[in-house]
Formats: sequence, C-alpha cells, structure tokens
Amino acid sequence: MRKKLKKILKSDGIKIGLSLLLFAGGLIFGFVRFEALSLVLYAFALVIAGADVFVDAVKGILRLDPLDEKFLMSVAAIGAMIVGEWSEGCAVMIFYLVGETFEHRAVRKSRASIKALMDICPDEASVLIDGKEEIIDAEDVEIGMTVVIRPGERVAVDCTVTEGTAHVDTSSMTGEPIPVTVGAGDSLSSGFVVTDGQLFATAVRKSTESAAARVLELVTVASDNKSREESFITRFSRYYTPIVVALALVVAVVPPLFGLSTLSKSVYTALTFLVISCPCALVISVPLSFFGGIGGAASRGILFKGGNVFSKIASAETVAFDKTGTITSGRFEIQDIIPAGIGTDELLFIAASVESVSNHPVAVCIKKGAQNITAPKEAKELSGLGVTAEVEGQKCAVGNLALMRSQGATVPDEYIKENGVYVCRSREFIGTITISDSVKPEAGEAIKKLYRLGVKNTVILSGDREENVSRIAKETGIIKYYSQLSPEEKYEKLEALISESKSTLYVGDGINDAPSLARADVGIAMGNMGQDSAIEASDAVIMTDNLLKISEAMLIARKTVRIARENIVFAIGIKAFILLLGFFGLANMWLAVFADVGVAVLAVLNAMRALKFTEKYK
Amino acid sequence: MKIKFNIIGLDCPNCAAKLASQIEEAEGIDSAKINFLTEKMTVETSLDEGAAYDLILKICLAFDDDLKLEK
Repeated sequence: MRKKLKKILKSDGIKIGLSLLLFAGGLIFGFVRFEALSLVLYAFALVIAGADVFVDAVKGILRLDPLDEKFLMSVAAIGAMIVGEWSEGCAVMIFYLVGETFEHRAVRKSRASIKALMDICPDEASVLIDGKEEIIDAEDVEIGMTVVIRPGERVAVDCTVTEGTAHVDTSSMTGEPIPVTVGAGDSLSSGFVVTDGQLFATAVRKSTESAAARVLELVTVASDNKSREESFITRFSRYYTPIVVALALVVAVVPPLFGLSTLSKSVYTALTFLVISCPCALVISVPLSFFGGIGGAASRGILFKGGNVFSKIASAETVAFDKTGTITSGRFEIQDIIPAGIGTDELLFIAASVESVSNHPVAVCIKKGAQNITAPKEAKELSGLGVTAEVEGQKCAVGNLALMRSQGATVPDEYIKENGVYVCRSREFIGTITISDSVKPEAGEAIKKLYRLGVKNTVILSGDREENVSRIAKETGIIKYYSQLSPEEKYEKLEALISESKSTLYVGDGINDAPSLARADVGIAMGNMGQDSAIEASDAVIMTDNLLKISEAMLIARKTVRIARENIVFAIGIKAFILLLGFFGLANMWLAVFADVGVAVLAVLNAMRALKFTEKYK
Repeated sequence: MKIKFNIIGLDCPNCAAKLASQIEEAEGIDSAKINFLTEKMTVETSLDEGAAYDLILKICLAFDDDLKLEK
C-alpha cells in the first residue's frame, strides 16, 4: 500500500496536479491575508513538485558541480521563498516540472518516431531446417539456409530468391513507392517487405551484415558526426551558464552596494538569472534537428553520414557527375542492327556466337539480344579491338573499325555509326550493330531541378568518347563536359572544379571513382548500397539509382539546416531578451521558467519538422 | 577495444556530456561518448566487457540512480 502510494506520488501528472492545487490554495489564502496557512500550502507544493529536484541538486553539490541545472533551479526556488516571494518560488518549481515533463515527452516522441522509421531489421526469420519450417532469431540465420517469406513479412537477411514470385515493397530501404516484382534468381535486401505471394530464398549474408543492419548502423553513427551548428551550440553553452551565473552574482551584490536597489529586489533579479542560465533548451534543440533530418532522409532512401554533410549539400553550387551508371543506366542495349547482304537474325547469330567468349559489357549485351548462339572455335579476345573466332567453319570478327581493317574487311561509309560494333565473315563486312547506354529517363528533369535550387554549374566527367559525352550533356541539359579522361585526369578536373566553387558535389556509382567521391566537398554514391568502398568514401549514399534524389537530398539538407538555425536564434534570442528584461527588473520567475523549459519544448517541436519532407521549390 | 552500451534515462544532453566526461576519467577507460538522442554509449577501453560494464554502471548510478545501462 505504501509502495503504491509512493509510486503514485512519483508520477509527474499527480505531482503536477497536487502541487498546482496546493499552489492555488496558497494564492487564495494569501489573497484573503491568511498568510500563515498560505505559506504552509506553498511549502507543501514546493516539496511535492521539487523533491526530486532537490535530491538531484544535493547530488550535484556532492559531485562538486554547482552549475547543475537542478541545483540552479533549487537555489532559485528557495531563494525566492527567502526574499519573501513565496508564490513565485513555488511557481518556479511547478512550472519547471511541467516544462520538463513536456520536454521529456517531446523527446521521447521524437525518438519513437525516428525509431519507427528505423524499424527495418526483423528480429526473427522463418527458415527450413531438414525440410521443416522453424522460426529462429534473425541473427542465427546462416549463409546458405533457406528462408521462407510470407506476405506482410519483412526480409530478415540479404538473400536470393529460389522459388516463388511476389511483389516487394522496397520503400523503407530505397524510398521508392512503387513495388517491385521478384522471382527466382532475383536478390532481396533485408528490410524489403513482401506484399503478396510466398518466397523461398537462400541467405547470402548474415543478418548483421545485411543491408538493413548496415543502413541502421550508418544512420546511428551519423548523429555522432557533429555539424557546425551543433559544435557551435555546445561551445556556446559551455560558456553561457557560468557567465550568466556570474552576472547573477553581480546583479545581486552590486546595485544594493551603491544604494541603487534593495537587497531583496536585486536578489530576486539574480534568481531569475539563475533560472534563465540553464543551457538545456539550447543543447537539445540543434542536435535533435539534425537527428530528425537524418531520420527523415533515411526513410526516403537517402543516407547522410553526418550532421556535418547537411550544410555543404545545402549550399552546393557545382554538381559533377560520373557518366556510366550515374547519368546513364549503365546497362548497354542493342539499339540498331544494320545487316549488309545477310539476314538480321544471321548477323546477330554470328556476332553473339563470337562475343560469347567475352565478358565485356558490350559483348554481354549482344549475347543477351540473340535468340540462339553456337560455341565458337579458336576464339581470341583482342583487347581494345574486339574478338575473332571461327563460327560454322568460317573466320569471323566482331569489334571496332581497326579490327575490321586488320581483318582486311572494308566498311562502307553508310555503315559507320556512332557506337557501332562491326562484324565481318571471311574478310567480308556483313553488318553493324549499334549499342547504346541509355540515359536515365529522369535525368533531364533531375538536372532542371538542380538549377531551380540555385546550382550554377553542372559537369560530366567521363572516360568515354567525346561524341557520346557531348550528346548526353546536350540531352540532359548539363552545362559542361570533359571526355576521354583517365581516372587521374578525372580527379584533377574535379579538383579544379572544387577550387572554383563554394561547394562541389560529386555524384558517382562508386565503381572506380572512390577517390573522387572522397575528394569532393560532398561525395554522393548512388545505387550501390552493396559496395563498401563507395559507402566508405562518400558523404551521402542514395539507395536507388534515381537522379531525382539529388535535388531531394538538397531540399532535405536545406530544411534541416534552416530548422537548426531557427532553433539557435530562437533559443538564444528569447533567453537574451528575458535576461535583458530581468536586468531592468521587468522579468519575473514565470517568464524565466518559460525561457528555459518553454523554449526547449518549442524548439523540440520545431526540430521534429525536419522528419517530414515536402517537395517545394521556391 | 570498442564497447557499446544502451544508456536509458538521461534527462538532457548536457547531463549526457557530464556523465561521459566522468566515465572518461575512470581508470581503464580511454574515451567515452554518449549520444543522448540514440541513447547509446561508446567506450574505448582496455577492460573486458564485463568489467567495463560493472565499472560504468557504478559511475552511472552514482550520477543518477534512475539510469539504466544495457549491454
């Protein structure tokens, strides 16, 4: 019974209610000049509201930490009582308690909403053990085990589908709202949700190394990397409290010494200073803004690797792109087949048969396009030229113009095409196949959006031939391009761009361009969540290969930075203003408490806006 | 060795920073970081996990007996 009572008395709601009631009683009896009773009621109210605070204050003294928030509040409340401001002393404690309760609730809520976004790693998985289905801890799923995923379930480990087809919702990992259809042979990342159909899949990674766990790790660690705004506010608060406390001492002692004010009046002013001196409103609001921004971005498939990345992305002036796999899809496709004197199918059959020995992306795409192929004899891959081989007893070659020349075949002018692959049989030219690496459909729109956000310069850095790169630049609206660059030249060009502009983004797919990702003010790796080197070298990771995510990342960064700065100005501004009022004897304890906890609550609520993203261009 | 704990029940980021600097002063602890928002503590220590846990728990409880430390 006693324990129960104690527990009830410990709940903040009850404490607030009870102490408010006693406080009201104190006010009423004070009003009718029944002061002894009024004082008793105030004292009870103070004890109920402030018991924990006083205990913590004593602990603070024992720790030799006199600038502890609880200690400052206790001194303010008791001091006010002593100088005769009973109701105010009591009110400080009650409203401090109210404010703290709200503040804790707001922090708890924001933590919960960010955690909900991050709830992408299931704890359990169904696996087949000796043909029987069993539910085990996700961490115990070994590579090679068969996992079973039912509709509505989240994938626990990275795996490859062996049986079944289903729609899969990838949005919590990639931010893409449209479900993907998967079947045997497709890979699934942990964190995907199967919406319909049942899948059997073979685990290819342990749960702790799977995509969802890695995303979570990245995002959690991200809030450890402090932004400029966060470092500023931490440094500021380190000096703020001691300075205000020192000011309070001055205000308490100096005016009465010179006969400018009574001692009790100036002590009261000093006590309001103590209340305002608490730094928590400042220290909590800024990191929480970035925390919200990181969480909100992650839910849209954009991972910021730290608070420090936001302001650099937000102020980007130059955006440099890698070409293959970034601006283009990186998947080669046959664009056109132009046979000379033979049938289309026959040309493709010969070309694909010869190319079947090569793993060059162009060879792979020609192979894919052919209906049937035969195994060639005496195949030889000539680097930089193409492939020669014997198909059905005749010597054939597939490659560039130089190869044709070396084979003694002449290619008529009308068959020479951009991105052409040429085929000859028995020294006779038999046709051209043109290959394209298609520009991503959203590229033009994505670039346009960057300009609307104030990006001044866009550049392609590519190792590809000039005519390809210039065509793509024109097609997408990119201002500048550099072609035929070696990896070193790419890096040098990027350095030049960086020195010319305030903030330079480099967007790449992380294959062969890790140095550039690391060198740029902000390196954004896209579409390659599996690549360790890309994730390591970059500052932000975009989970899909959708170029529109770049402008989205900029918008999220801008919003987050704006909210953080609003909070800095707001919190410092209000505190400074009320200090000033206090200095002229115009502020009372109530205002001072608002300057502390009230501001904290408002700042926390403002910070939570960073979680939500709405696409808006000015 | 790097060890991570969950630390639950801290009042404000300021307290978190103070607690972290107290833990940092303890013998055997090279560095301690507390992220108030994620409620995670990262310690670099020469102690093994059990010993570090006991040591840090003691410091935490002396700081505020409502704190919870989880492995």
